[in-house]
Amino acid sequence: MDSAERIQVASKFLLQAPPGEINDVLNDVRNIISDDDQLQEGVLPALREYNLAQFMTADVPGHQHQSIVSDADRVLNTGEDGEEGEETDRFWDPRSRTSFRFDHLSLETSDPQPVEPDEESEPFRMALEQSSLTYLAAHFHDGVASVFPVAGSTSRFIIQIVANKYNPSNFWSGRWRSEYTVDLDERQLQGKILVNVHYYEQGNVQLSTTHTIALPLPPAITPSPASSSASKIFAVIEAEEGKYQDALNDAYTEMGEKTFKGLRRALPMTRSKLDWDRVLGYKLGAELTSNKGVFGVA
Amino acid sequence: MADLVDSMLDLMRRLPPTHVEENVSALVQMCPDYADDLLGSVDQPLKVMTDKATGKDYLVCDYNRDGESYRSPWSNEYDPPLEDGTVPSSKLRKLEIAANEAFDTYREMYYEGGVSSVFLWDLDDGGFAGVVLLKKILTPAAPGEPSGSWDSIHVFEAAERGRQAHYKLTSTIMLQMVDRGAREGAKDAAPEGTRAGEVSLSGSMTRQTEQDWPLQDQTSHITNTGRMIEEMEIKMRNLLQEVYFGKTRDVVFDLRSVDDLEKQRRQRELQKELVGFIKR
Repeated sequence: MDSAERIQVASKFLLQAPPGEINDVLNDVRNIISDDDQLQEGVLPALREYNLAQFMTADVPGHQHQSIVSDADRVLNTGEDGEEGEETDRFWDPRSRTSFRFDHLSLETSDPQPVEPDEESEPFRMALEQSSLTYLAAHFHDGVASVFPVAGSTSRFIIQIVANKYNPSNFWSGRWRSEYTVDLDERQLQGKILVNVHYYEQGNVQLSTTHTIALPLPPAITPSPASSSASKIFAVIEAEEGKYQDALNDAYTEMGEKTFKGLRRALPMTRSKLDWDRVLGYKLGAELTSNKGVFGVA
Repeated sequence: MADLVDSMLDLMRRLPPTHVEENVSALVQMCPDYADDLLGSVDQPLKVMTDKATGKDYLVCDYNRDGESYRSPWSNEYDPPLEDGTVPSSKLRKLEIAANEAFDTYREMYYEGGVSSVFLWDLDDGGFAGVVLLKKILTPAAPGEPSGSWDSIHVFEAAERGRQAHYKLTSTIMLQMVDRGAREGAKDAAPEGTRAGEVSLSGSMTRQTEQDWPLQDQTSHITNTGRMIEEMEIKMRNLLQEVYFGKTRDVVFDLRSVDDLEKQRRQRELQKELVGFIKR
């Protein structure tokens, strides 16, 4: 395997890292590849892809809150400090109207710059943001939410929510991600919920779920008044996410009652453990015992 | 470079169990020198083959492999055929035949289907070792019902010490379940819009035990390992149930609370105030 192929395999491993374990996976991969210079250069695209897809959170420089780093808030280079359209690692936080550089390896932020939001869409976005924070406090212990305008549109918004729990000393970690696109023109709400849990004490057990939602927006939701529409949108999201957890409960019951029991019984039909002497069978046993001398039991 | 193998094993303990086969094969291609260490220590889902002589299904793993061929426990033949494939000594083969029959009964009693295979091999120090394999796949009876698979791999070493035998057992169970059923909306009137999704629970757990058992004759090895494996599977089934359906679920409901946390906070504060008021 040449070095480019090795980096490709390493990148594949990184993209599969469970919640909160990217550094552990990176350390393993580092040991296996044992060529730090090559690795550092080579896996940057994979780390970037991982961070964006997993809704990594970043401390916004100069502010007390965190913002989600994802494709929705990536600042495209317009030619001032690089070539046009070049991939930069600058993201923006609409809440504080700040853009910042993000280091995909250290997860640190730097170089804050002020950002002027789009005047037309900003009132509705702010209303959504306000509702998102209320919603977050009501249902997530450690969540971060961000609301982004869709570039070039005044009627589309992206809501992202992420909640992480890492407990390496008890060998488990978990991540909840949800994302919704609100389209006030098309009157559509599209969403997805992704949950990952890893349990790894003397084993490796993973829960991985996907769920997609597509709904027409209720008629009461209109561009103005923004604040009542925003809270109605979050009432819909709250109901959907609550229903999803009910459905997940049902799936657990279904798999526990049907699949798990169907795969292996807790005890045989007789409700008692096997009588191994009888299982072995008298005939079979006798046959083997007659060969006792050959088998050499003293 | 023992720690290189450690890193590989740590990696396999973290990456999704649903991709274990492709990840192991990628690692083997990357570090061919460590192929044996890796294939010997990372359990992968068992494959089913059919014995051409008897028509019976059997399971294949690293323990009944010789080159590219696999030995059937029923006919003792390799597929594809091997002229000089490794086989157990004739007295161990006799025990192997009896063990396969016994565990076939065990399989029927607990799994009510599936496939089992037992392979034994002689050890250099005069003892022997073996592996008991069990596999069952559940295909959904109706669309929307969950599917699943169970793989048990019990590797043991037996050392005779007079009228006693000492056993070292390492058991791994791989369990995978996938649910694509869209049951939401079943309770209340179907809400507007479309929803679709998948829930996948998959993984493996490993446990070890060492025990001494009395030895009357050679068949005692079968009853002894039988009882040990039965006990181990009962214990591990409980453990799997707890982790799969208890622990992972708790984490999800800890990430997002169904109940309104703000309301709970307000209620607690109100309660505190009331308590303070009464005390005054």
